[in-house]
Amino acid sequence: MATPQAHHLFHAPIADHSFSADRRTVAVARDNNVELYQSSGSKFTLSDELKGHEKTVTSVDIAPGSGRIVTCSQDRNAYVWEKTPTGWKPTLVLLRINRAATFVRWSPSEQKFAVGSGARVIAVCYFEEENDWWISKHLKKPIRSTITTLAWHPNSVLLAAGSTDSHARVFSSFIKGTDARPEPSAWGERLPFNTICGEFLNDSAGWIQGVSFSPSGDALAFTGHDSSVTVVYPSAPEQPPRAMLNISTRLLPLNSLIWNGENEIIAAGHDCEPYRFQGDENGWRLTGSLESKAGAGAGAAREESALNMFRQMDLKGQTTVNTKLKTTHQNTINTIRPYEEANGQVKSFSTSGVDGRVVIWTL
Amino acid sequence: MSQLNYRTINIDQLDPESSVNFPMETLLPANLPAPETSSDAANVASQVRQLLRGGDTEGALRAALDTAPLGGDDRAKEVHMATVTEVLQGIRQADMTRVLESVCGGDGGAERADCLMKYIYKGMSSSGPSGGGQSPRNTISPQSTGGFSQIQARNVGEGGGGQQMSVLLNWHEKLVEVAGTGCIVRVMTDRRTV
Repeated sequence: MATPQAHHLFHAPIADHSFSADRRTVAVARDNNVELYQSSGSKFTLSDELKGHEKTVTSVDIAPGSGRIVTCSQDRNAYVWEKTPTGWKPTLVLLRINRAATFVRWSPSEQKFAVGSGARVIAVCYFEEENDWWISKHLKKPIRSTITTLAWHPNSVLLAAGSTDSHARVFSSFIKGTDARPEPSAWGERLPFNTICGEFLNDSAGWIQGVSFSPSGDALAFTGHDSSVTVVYPSAPEQPPRAMLNISTRLLPLNSLIWNGENEIIAAGHDCEPYRFQGDENGWRLTGSLESKAGAGAGAAREESALNMFRQMDLKGQTTVNTKLKTTHQNTINTIRPYEEANGQVKSFSTSGVDGRVVIWTL
Repeated sequence: MSQLNYRTINIDQLDPESSVNFPMETLLPANLPAPETSSDAANVASQVRQLLRGGDTEGALRAALDTAPLGGDDRAKEVHMATVTEVLQGIRQADMTRVLESVCGGDGGAERADCLMKYIYKGMSSSGPSGGGQSPRNTISPQSTGGFSQIQARNVGEGGGGQQMSVLLNWHEKLVEVAGTGCIVRVMTDRRTV
């Protein structure tokens, strides 16, 4: 495994990041704005700022095909940004929510996007030609608390959502006129809007922080504040799942996860490093960290040499000054996304976190 | 009308959408064991005590953790808490790591580790020494919300409570070594309280 490419963009938390399709631009949510960084050589330099939100931006997503950027914020708004010759032009989306918007993702078809919110609804947004604006339809029942995370099924109709009521749910977000009728699957056959195709709760509960469908869409994984990853294999519509496997780890909670093929999951969170899980319907297990600690660890050993210890005591009056973590990220990882993938196999992925770094990892 | 002070009305209670009206029972998984009463817990206690007397500390801890009354009432939970405390106090410090590695390994080991951590935290939050298993005192405050109340008085004195606390702290340290920090996090999230 090659060493991860770390880009330290600034000294502020990154709530979310998204790369453009050509991987030359990365959008990061920083405070009330979204900053666009352009790759030049091996570095990323600030090229543009999307200003408009009045409160912290919570999520950002670039549609790979159209290049449109959608952002959402605690100011209860979402904007769709389009590139014009004079710069990025925002279009307000009618979300109709009275609490913060927490999470946004484009559907794979790019015809729709979903916005999670603290108002216990998911706004599924689509473009209305006649009025030239983005309008939304609400997924409401049976959400009992804030939506923290969302993930789309490859068919662009099914939507998985994680919530602070500790449930991960799968909904249908079928919009007549926008979506083609989806193929029947283990999740359901007829899928009118707001059909609940699955509702899952861990034994140890905990807020759900990350959800993801497997590349085929026939399995769902979610992780939450109970430091565990749960994988669900549905059997048939309205039936209990064929298998629901829970891997409880000895780690701090995980925040975000992605699938690599059908038999591998990569997840990262409060331990500041990505972990690999492997398995299938018969069982899953944590196979280890993706961080090779040799380089950083060697630095730490030097730090602890006697000479250095006395020097630090002399200079600063303290015995231990090593506040640098041995991991590439120096703080919690918030988002993990595939960077380079083909047929569901991830070759590299990117992470961003509270330390203001975006890191690209090669598998 | 003038008697009614509208400023003191707790409007959250009247709003069905409010978070104070969140149905906590929705956080309990469907596979919760059947409700247990305090007499069931007392039966378990005598079985565990027998194992303990026979010198099988490992078996006693395993049995006590496997039979935790997750679905029981407060009284059953109190009785079982006393049983677990007795087992924990009956194991010598030198044996802790060996016992933990065996109890928290193998099939269902992770659940036992989580369960033990719940008892350790419950023990640390309760306000009186639970003493012998035969007469659990009523002063043990039931874990009403599943969280850790910071308000409760803690045992910082020199008395028996302080000693119990040091036993629990020892167990806590050893358990984190064996089962990691994940197990502490799960005590906070898990609504199947002990």
